[in-house]
Amino acid sequence: MYRKQVRRRRAVLVLLIVVALVLLSTRFSESDSGPLHSMQRAVASALGPLEEGASRATKPLVDLKDWIDETFQARGENEDLRAEADQLRAQLAKAQSAEGENEQLRKLVGLDRSGVLAGYTPVTARVIGRSPTVWYSTVTVDKGSSSGVQMNDPVVSGDGLVGRVTDVTHGTAKVSLITDNRSAVSARVLPDGPQGVAEPEVGNPDDLLLDFIDRNQPIDQGALVVTAGWSNGAISSAFPPGLPIGEVSDATVGEQESYQRVHVTPAADIRNLDFVQVATDGPPRPGVPR
Amino acid sequence: MIVTWRIGLRIALALIAAVVLQVSFFSYLTFFGTTPDIVPLVVVTLGLLGGAVLGAVVGFATGLLLDSALLGTLGASSLVLLTAGYLAGRYREGTEISNSLIPPLLIAALTTGVAAGFAALQLMLGIHTPVSLLILREIFVKGLLAFVLAIPLYPLIRRILRPAIVHDVAGAARSPISAASRRSRRARGRRARRLARAG
Repeated sequence: MYRKQVRRRRAVLVLLIVVALVLLSTRFSESDSGPLHSMQRAVASALGPLEEGASRATKPLVDLKDWIDETFQARGENEDLRAEADQLRAQLAKAQSAEGENEQLRKLVGLDRSGVLAGYTPVTARVIGRSPTVWYSTVTVDKGSSSGVQMNDPVVSGDGLVGRVTDVTHGTAKVSLITDNRSAVSARVLPDGPQGVAEPEVGNPDDLLLDFIDRNQPIDQGALVVTAGWSNGAISSAFPPGLPIGEVSDATVGEQESYQRVHVTPAADIRNLDFVQVATDGPPRPGVPR
Repeated sequence: MIVTWRIGLRIALALIAAVVLQVSFFSYLTFFGTTPDIVPLVVVTLGLLGGAVLGAVVGFATGLLLDSALLGTLGASSLVLLTAGYLAGRYREGTEISNSLIPPLLIAALTTGVAAGFAALQLMLGIHTPVSLLILREIFVKGLLAFVLAIPLYPLIRRILRPAIVHDVAGAARSPISAASRRSRRARGRRARRLARAG
């Protein structure tokens, strides 16, 4: 009797492991329209309203926790903020001046644009789900194909670039964050700095690495890093140029290396996203599947 | 554990609630730089209460649900969670839980294992970017948070599934409270018979 139980227990374990491995390998080899993807989207669509309801219902508790955290932090940060406010005032004056010049130049070249997302239709979406893993890789938003969201649409928050859409259901979409280990964003250091590729340091959502920057290029601490939005006609970046990615926090050069290791602090607070904007209906970008 | 269809329904509802609350609530809370994860906690608790087979099946199903809710890599979470559920069940089958601190400690250890296992699986599937050492701290803190959360949640889940737990049903039959109630029932019966004879 006991032996039978042991055999049954082992059989169940082996069967489940085999099924999990088959699912894993099939998921990787299958196309986006395959049966497993479709089934997964159906389950995600069914759970979407539940997630949205739970997210709304528990929002006051999350806000309360944030308020407690912020109150404790505020005491220590008061002095720092005063200094930062002075610095920001100076930066604002510069930015206003640059904006005025920019506007004039746009008018000069006949462009009727209001910002870097000109040409796109922004769709505001609420973040209703987050991955519980330590990888800070994806969030789920409450807008899907019914709102015009498509694969590879750029996603931004009020502070800067957040990521891009990598899966869509009727009412929800999965956003792969710039801290996802498969993310790589072509980036440019302002004002007229070099271009590189911004990649995450997995496990640390407060740091990105800007790679392929020549070791002799001067990079200033605090310099703004934006999307480069390059295109060579056949292939192009999924992101439009000029979206803020973050600020340079540190730049180091190894003795044997030909490139600098430039650390960038992301502009968007990846851990605390509540609302984001999905830039839909953008101009076609060669090589970017929709 | 005796799994009737009613108990099965309770388990299914508990799993759905755990996944929905995880992605919509617990993942928004940050303590010491990381978020609490109640999904392994629920799976390990069910493994501890129901044994290895139930733990493995529940872990597998919860992983599928979680990967589907997040449109993630189907099968990855299932593989890690079914192992945790199975190990918890094997512990329960081989050892008597004599101390109330054992379940939270076991949940903390297996939650740490789940986070580490998931990280290892991701590394095997291919990471093209550097991995920060902060990930080790996060895995450790996840275990600590699981310990704290297990203190109220383990008894709660046990209470929800109480009618199915063989040990609890047998224990209840021998408990002083039920013995006292049996005594009072007998006393009431004797009183009723006496009144009937007198009348």
